[in-house]
Amino acid sequence: MDYAIRVSGLIKVYEGKVKALDGVYLSVEPGKIFALLGPNGAGKTTLMRILTTQIKPTSGEAYIFGLNVVRDGARVRQLISYVPQEMSVWTDISGYENLLIYAKIYGVPLSERDRLIWDALESMGLSEFANNLVRTYSGGMIRRLECACALLTKPKILFLDEPTIGLDPSARRAVWERLKAFMKDYDATIFFNTHYMDEADLYSDETAIINRGRIVASGTPESLKRSLRGEIISLEVEDSSFDLRVLEAIKGLDVISDVIVSGDEISVVAQDAEASLPRVMEILRSNNVLVKRASITKPTLDDVFLKYAGVRLEPSAGRISEVRQVRRMIGRG
Amino acid sequence: MEGFIRNMLAMIELEMRRLKHDRTELYSRAIQPILWIAVFGPIMGSVRAIPTGGIPYTDYITPGALIQSTTFISIFYGLTIVWERESGILKRLLVAPVSRYSIVIGRALASGVRAIFQALIIIPVALLMGVRFVPSVPNFILALLIIFLSSGGFAAISILVASFMKTRERFMGIGQALTMPLFFASNALYPVSMMPEIMRWIAFFNPMSYVVDAVRSLMITGNLSSLLTDLAAIMLFDAVMFIVASINFRRIIE
Repeated sequence: MDYAIRVSGLIKVYEGKVKALDGVYLSVEPGKIFALLGPNGAGKTTLMRILTTQIKPTSGEAYIFGLNVVRDGARVRQLISYVPQEMSVWTDISGYENLLIYAKIYGVPLSERDRLIWDALESMGLSEFANNLVRTYSGGMIRRLECACALLTKPKILFLDEPTIGLDPSARRAVWERLKAFMKDYDATIFFNTHYMDEADLYSDETAIINRGRIVASGTPESLKRSLRGEIISLEVEDSSFDLRVLEAIKGLDVISDVIVSGDEISVVAQDAEASLPRVMEILRSNNVLVKRASITKPTLDDVFLKYAGVRLEPSAGRISEVRQVRRMIGRG
Repeated sequence: MEGFIRNMLAMIELEMRRLKHDRTELYSRAIQPILWIAVFGPIMGSVRAIPTGGIPYTDYITPGALIQSTTFISIFYGLTIVWERESGILKRLLVAPVSRYSIVIGRALASGVRAIFQALIIIPVALLMGVRFVPSVPNFILALLIIFLSSGGFAAISILVASFMKTRERFMGIGQALTMPLFFASNALYPVSMMPEIMRWIAFFNPMSYVVDAVRSLMITGNLSSLLTDLAAIMLFDAVMFIVASINFRRIIE
């Protein structure tokens, strides 16, 4: 079968020193929504820019429907659409005019042009604002307009770099509902980057976790969570400078599959958290480690991330500055 | 080839639509050339120190002031590219199925649209000031075409500069440092024959001299003896700048 996207051994080194991608392997089946989940600086954008033929990899291969992104760049560009992380519409003309210019760049035939533009506006819920200057749009509307520009040419694959960055939850939901509807109608594939684990969890068919330029885990969000084989006991301790041998002791319990420390938080992975908790507490108490609070959680993608990447994703960090950045971009137009 | 022209036309249309919504830049940038024509021209002309070949000094510098202003517009057009780089527009254009040459040349020529509209603001003011133009529609159209094409070359310079200067602030500095020497080392305000030897060489390689000479001969003097040389020089300038800017364009995105 021809994969929609196939990447093997991709390495990208910037200016001979910064290693953004360090041997990436992944494949995406046609018609799927694929999420690349990772913190800022993990290499998500670099990978997407290589897949969309903007930059060349240092080594390794990448194929879009069997076409090599370096050698067959021109043919790849006819199959794909791309929404970059930064704002990518002209703010000093109207929404309709943005689509019109893109339609002309892509050579949409005159006979279909108007219908396709209004279809795209309609599908993103922008019809009534079509003739307003983009400068007057909200952040969510601008994102929808960018998606409308990307959908206009009915691409086989849609590349979205942080599609809902800086959007509030309801705007985010609106963008995704419309993207999913488009996918269903046109049998398209979506590849998106995100650092919001809930976004990957809610909307992707398959998720790959990337950290420091490598894919550390991949699968459906469900299978990734199942791969943790257990539930998590989170323990917040009074003093994080305890003897690490305590962890070994906990790990030694037959019901415990893993122990991870992140600052003053100990995460214990157990088959049955409720039953294991007293035994874990017993070990901590006998080693004079004071526990401030304990909680039991069923695994989320964040925990999966913690296990495979060794750090937390911190989904809320940077939210405010992102919103500001988006606003500033709009203000400039 | 079809895609190439299509993309160029789309870029030009984009510029016209922008102008339809906001023409402030054209008006504010018209002030300076109008001052040259309305104030500097008559005062310097009254001295009669500059040999203009028998035409009034204000008439002599009108093409110069006009080209100076359209060139400035083109040079600062690179700012648009810097802004589009900071936003995601350029990335998106690069992923469209069009050649990179057509993006550079299309954007460059789009600045010619601004330049023409700028000329259409300044020329009526010059007419009001009593500047006598050659009353010929073909001359007038050819002059506008020359302004359009040469603006493309100057905008390509600025796109080239933009691919090195990746922030607006740096670009502003270079933009200023580029435009004034172009203007003073040209025949915009005085004939090249009045210049010292070194300046004459600079003027010889300064594309603005050829543009001013072409527009002056078409619009003011009607003496077309050097027009072909001028056109050839402008075409060469455009071709070189388009190619160099396109080759360097890759830098702007990395």
